[in-house]
Amino acid sequence: MPAESFSLRRDPWFLFAAIVGGTLLLAATAGPFLAPYDPYDISFTVLEAPSAKHWLGVNDGGMDIFSELLTALRNTIMFGLLAGMAGTGLAVFAGVFSALRQGVTGLMLMRLADMLLAIPSIMPLVLLAALFQPPPSLMALALALFLWAGPSRLINAQARMLVTAPHILAARQMGGSLWYLLRRHLVPEIYPIALIVLASRLRAAMFMEASLAFLGLMDPARKSLGSMIGYGLKYYFLDIWSNWLLPPIVCLSLLIMSATLLAMRMEKRMDPRLQNLS
Amino acid sequence: MSLELHDVTVRYRQTHDGGEHVLLALDHVNLALRPGSVTALVGESGCGKTTLAKVIMGLLPDNAMQSGTVLLDGEPLPLSDENAMNKLRWRRVAMVFQNGGAGLHPIHTVLDQLVEPMRTHLGLPPEAAELRARRLLEQAGLPWNIAIRHPHELSGGQAQRCFLAMALALDPDYLLLDEPTSALDPGTRAFLLGRLRELRNEGKGILLITHDLGSTASLADDTKVMYLGNIMEEVAGSLLTKEARHPYSRGLVRAFPGMFATRELGGLRGEPLLRITHAHAPSEASHHHADTGVEHAPADGCLFLPRCTQACPDCASGKIALTGTPGSGLRCVRGGIVPFLELKNIRKRYTSAFALHDIQLRVMAGETFCLVGETGSGKSTLAKIVAGELEADSGTALLDGSPLDYKRRRRQLAAKIGFVAQNPLLAVSPRLTVFDIAAEPLRIQFPDLPRFELERQVLAGFCEVRLPGTPDFLKLYAHELNAGALQRLCIARALMTRPALLVADEPTSSLDPSVQAKILRMLLELQTERGLTMLFVTHDFGVARKIADHIGVMHDGRLVETGTTRQILTHPTHGHTRFLLSCARGGNTQGE
Repeated sequence: MPAESFSLRRDPWFLFAAIVGGTLLLAATAGPFLAPYDPYDISFTVLEAPSAKHWLGVNDGGMDIFSELLTALRNTIMFGLLAGMAGTGLAVFAGVFSALRQGVTGLMLMRLADMLLAIPSIMPLVLLAALFQPPPSLMALALALFLWAGPSRLINAQARMLVTAPHILAARQMGGSLWYLLRRHLVPEIYPIALIVLASRLRAAMFMEASLAFLGLMDPARKSLGSMIGYGLKYYFLDIWSNWLLPPIVCLSLLIMSATLLAMRMEKRMDPRLQNLS
Repeated sequence: MSLELHDVTVRYRQTHDGGEHVLLALDHVNLALRPGSVTALVGESGCGKTTLAKVIMGLLPDNAMQSGTVLLDGEPLPLSDENAMNKLRWRRVAMVFQNGGAGLHPIHTVLDQLVEPMRTHLGLPPEAAELRARRLLEQAGLPWNIAIRHPHELSGGQAQRCFLAMALALDPDYLLLDEPTSALDPGTRAFLLGRLRELRNEGKGILLITHDLGSTASLADDTKVMYLGNIMEEVAGSLLTKEARHPYSRGLVRAFPGMFATRELGGLRGEPLLRITHAHAPSEASHHHADTGVEHAPADGCLFLPRCTQACPDCASGKIALTGTPGSGLRCVRGGIVPFLELKNIRKRYTSAFALHDIQLRVMAGETFCLVGETGSGKSTLAKIVAGELEADSGTALLDGSPLDYKRRRRQLAAKIGFVAQNPLLAVSPRLTVFDIAAEPLRIQFPDLPRFELERQVLAGFCEVRLPGTPDFLKLYAHELNAGALQRLCIARALMTRPALLVADEPTSSLDPSVQAKILRMLLELQTERGLTMLFVTHDFGVARKIADHIGVMHDGRLVETGTTRQILTHPTHGHTRFLLSCARGGNTQGE
């Protein structure tokens, strides 16, 4: 078989996703410097149409929509990353731990995951938001407590297969310690799945953040892609969809799409077995 | 009535590059020849066999220094008195030299040479002497017309037999034969051995010095194994009929291409050394001596130590004595070949059924033990238990005398035990390159090994299993290799830390015969060189036959029969063994 190594640098899908995701991330990171105005400045003409001064016009509160979009993007990505990474971390830990300790502890952990799966995560979050109005970072961590359950079962299945796989047994036979096996075999083997999980959790978290904000359950003053859509929708009868509604929707879609594509293409790179299948 | 050697020591004074040193050829040798029995003396060339015969004949060269006594029927031989010795030579003790033809006088006919001693020593009249010569030639299987030939007109075998006839001319009580059969064709050899048997039955004491273990097998009443002037092992009977106890004897047997040897020929590692006791040489000269590559045997401890594969620290010091009952002595600190792997009452139960019932197994150091049996008979389970992939439910396992405790000493044990699992494709990680797969045991055992050293060792290991070491190959992934290369990769990995025990589960099942042959020979070579002990699981009697010293047959989780390869193949006792053998021979599947 030719050993033509699969290179991410030559993969159009990966490049596309990397450019889109990178641009969005850059926009979010550099938001405060790029924004022409303070997003909380309410001194502009309400509902002004897009112009050279205000690229995306002005919203009902007299704020510059472009500046607002940059801040919202930043908030949504931050929330997504925090919740997604925490959720993925929990999923990997729970999945691998219960595969290694297939006793009562492991069993209980997996049953807990089953229970959590049965509860629609939006309900407790709505309650939490309504009752305690926690800051966004706490909301993200609370969300992570629900995000791990589904993928932990996936990772557990994979890890269970791995701990009895002959090549892992061989490494153990060679005298590899648990730490060695984790570092050298289990984690690298689970890494591609963890990436997909991360992508799906990022997507879920960003979507959840947008939903909660859309529903007005987050701090109403906090900028978010969801709250922007929510406010914009109130004025759908005016001609604002192209400058007020569409930009956050497109941003949200691109974010989720690029995260998914990146993970998929990287997974292909991680697993040499898939390389010759394209 | 006997010919006895007591504490016979012979040293040769030799000059070497202007210096002088003393070579110890025989070291306090005790040996007895009894009438009506054949004592065989075997060992590598240069071990002192011929010197011993020359001691008895009083024919040592001038540079030899001798001590100890030789008793003939209780009387010391007058070794210093040439006339007295001449009276004994040929009449009481006769010797057939290694290349008999060279011992014949070139310008006299065979008849003259046969008749002459009879007339001078026995005073026989010419007719009687000729008659006797005729009978001797006949008994040696030679036609009468050979008597009028000159030695150069004889073939090597004929000359040898003429010499035997000459040695018997004066009807000696003791006959010393130095390599009597090595130059003979099988027919002549059989004839000669038959003749020797007759002579033994007539009451002659025979010393048979030979490399040919096959001839000792049919003839010897007892066998002495010599190494560097020492008797290492005494065996009642022959080395081929008894199991060797000394690693040296085992090496000799493995190297001997007998008709019943099924195993690939092996041998001993290294070369025989020289025993230089004290060199009177200037220091430059001795340096020079070292430069020529001639190694000296250790002055202290076991002589065989540099070539032994089971040496331990105790072997390096002290005088090692021949211990044990007379006639079955053994010169080894460790008491001969040691058991390396011992399994006692090993049991394993899977959820539904017994996989192993009370397995008792012993694998000796430097030996191949083949587990043969059908699929599902528990072979792999047993291999996995030894390799530490599975835990036995009960029973004890000892490796080199200490418990096989995987709970506490997994890493140390892993360095000593290499394991080749059954399915090579599953046994390697799909994520790792060939290099990383092979380097894994080294990385686990020696986490701080620098990269270049890692590469050097991996490449050396690949060289052993005939895998290419090219950079392109090292970068491949397991799924890109063919089955043969993959299996060799697994074997290379198992041998990477130079283990003492290799547990291999069908390691050559997916190799084509030519590669399989190379791998098996490589493993046997490692056995010779490093003393690699092998527990080899196979369903293939053909493979077992070529590599095994012992075979164990498994059936339904029980080890139903164990024995030497020859025993199992020629005299199987268990019905299942017979069944498997008949299947392996390709015929009758009805058994029996």
